[in-house]
Amino acid sequence: MSVQEKLRSKPQWGSGFGQFACWVAAAVVSAVCLSIIGYLVFQGWHSLSWKFFTTDPSESMREGAGGGVRVPIVGTALLIVLAVLVMFPIAVGAATYLSEYMDESSWFTRVVRTGLEVLASVPSVVFGMFGLALFSMPIFTFLSSSGAEGASQAFGRSFLVAAIVMGVHVLPFVIKVSEESIRAVPVSYRRGAHALGITKWRSIRKVVLPAAAPGIVTAVILGMGLIAGDTAIVWLLLGGTTTMGASNWWAPSQFLQVLRGTGATLTTYIFFNSPAGDGNSPQLAYAAALVLVVLVLALNVIASIVGRRRKRQGS
Amino acid sequence: MPLLLASAAIFSGLVVTLVVFFVAYNAVPTFRAEGLSFITRGGWDTQINNAFTPSKTVFFGAEPLLIGTLLSTVGAVLVSLVLGTGCAIFLSELAPAAIRRPFESLVQLLAGIPSVVFGLVGLSIVVPFIQNYVVPANAANVVPEIPIEGASLLAAITVLSFMILPFFVTVAVDSLRAIPRSYVDGGLALGMTKWRTITRIQVPAAAPGLVAGLVLAAARATGEAIAVSMVAGAIAFSPNLNHGPLYMLLMPIRTIASSIVETGGDAMSIPSIASALFALATLLLLFSLILSLGARWAFAWFNKRMGVRQAGGVQT
Repeated sequence: MSVQEKLRSKPQWGSGFGQFACWVAAAVVSAVCLSIIGYLVFQGWHSLSWKFFTTDPSESMREGAGGGVRVPIVGTALLIVLAVLVMFPIAVGAATYLSEYMDESSWFTRVVRTGLEVLASVPSVVFGMFGLALFSMPIFTFLSSSGAEGASQAFGRSFLVAAIVMGVHVLPFVIKVSEESIRAVPVSYRRGAHALGITKWRSIRKVVLPAAAPGIVTAVILGMGLIAGDTAIVWLLLGGTTTMGASNWWAPSQFLQVLRGTGATLTTYIFFNSPAGDGNSPQLAYAAALVLVVLVLALNVIASIVGRRRKRQGS
Repeated sequence: MPLLLASAAIFSGLVVTLVVFFVAYNAVPTFRAEGLSFITRGGWDTQINNAFTPSKTVFFGAEPLLIGTLLSTVGAVLVSLVLGTGCAIFLSELAPAAIRRPFESLVQLLAGIPSVVFGLVGLSIVVPFIQNYVVPANAANVVPEIPIEGASLLAAITVLSFMILPFFVTVAVDSLRAIPRSYVDGGLALGMTKWRTITRIQVPAAAPGLVAGLVLAAARATGEAIAVSMVAGAIAFSPNLNHGPLYMLLMPIRTIASSIVETGGDAMSIPSIASALFALATLLLLFSLILSLGARWAFAWFNKRMGVRQAGGVQT
């Protein structure tokens, strides 16, 4: 036994309380986390049924008459897809540029990094207000619809608007995780490509980005989880309803109307039906919360599986 | 092609200035009409109601919202500092290997729970619990000026603490793990116990990471809208110590962020309300600017003082 190990294994009576306190803190946090999940399962389980997933919400004040979550689930999926479409090219481009091209010591890099840091700490409700301010301008009427004031203001609330703002909201997070995974690509890959006489851009496209792809995918999937869980942006920019603004939204010919119309997501459905909202169906809110938590959890699990694959490839 | 990448980087670095511009620009009417009295005057709730009458000129006072935001943030940061430091030390130093992984996943799980779910659970468990077991029976006689009904500052602090805790713990664990092994070995070689090494060497060396994590957690607490609006009572009231600390915690509050989601929506079509809400959003932007730059500054300052090379990766 080395001296170190001997010292470490010495009984430490004086420090017992501190260590005990740490165990207690961990136990409290575990208990809270498990009881949140347990409570949702216990309260929401019996409201989950085929009917719950295939009927639309109704804005009824009667107890338990909140309807199902078909439209909110479609809304959440649509918002995720649109926001990823907006955010993905910008995030990958910025992450690639930050890790491959930028000189870390230049003032320009510092400005961009500071901007990203500040952007990351802007609360989502402020993004919602920003979206209303920007997309209510009349030139953006094509993204939503014309407002009550006629041509002087756009309505500023639609799937397109919410998706753009949501994309910007998760941008710093996705850039950060993507950049880490691009930086983690071994420098020998780049040198190998360089030795073969390949241009820098070609080596990024053919060598570096494919090697970093699992990490970038992880970043995007985690970002999808953030999008699915956000309420404030959706509440402000998707109209604050529980139904689709466009009629016959399932018809392909209505697709543009749906994109330019208002809608609902799982988070607004939960908010509306919770005791804090206008609806009066807490049981349905629990069930929808269970669905949402399972969705976010599944996204996190997929992200960690993809991330692990990256590690195995990298070694 | 690099030009395209550069423009993506420039866009994402500078889009925050767009956010600041549009939010602040729309807040100009309110700040021009009221100046600093916007944050020193009270009476938000009645003013919002009055503003629905078109003929009236209304001046807004957001002082209780500011107080509510500060109190709930400070409370949540203190709770998660105590609980979170314990969890971080447990996770990085004390936990047996068999417990470490599951506990790590639990913390990540907590980080993944959406805020509206925190609000829902807080409203169905924390608020009734406070009402039934914490609120004294004669509360209505002691504090006649405001309903003491469970939805309170205390409920907001409870919910916020657990919302921000995983973010603090993740950063704290990273910084604890980033400390060079030689520091710990040096302490042990001097005959320090393991606990003493933790409290005298590892935690101080990781302090910049802890502070930065705490500041980032504070930024989240300040900006949380939905969960707070569900559990905090939604009454613009500044909790005070007139009836003692317990009653102060039991008083309802309304925060800056929660007022935006509560009032925003249809009321945005009334210009004076819209401008007042944009003024609130400007305040939130100011906070997040201060906090995110503060996190960075805390990092640099502690690093210099401790002579530690960057102990944790907190470059968000």
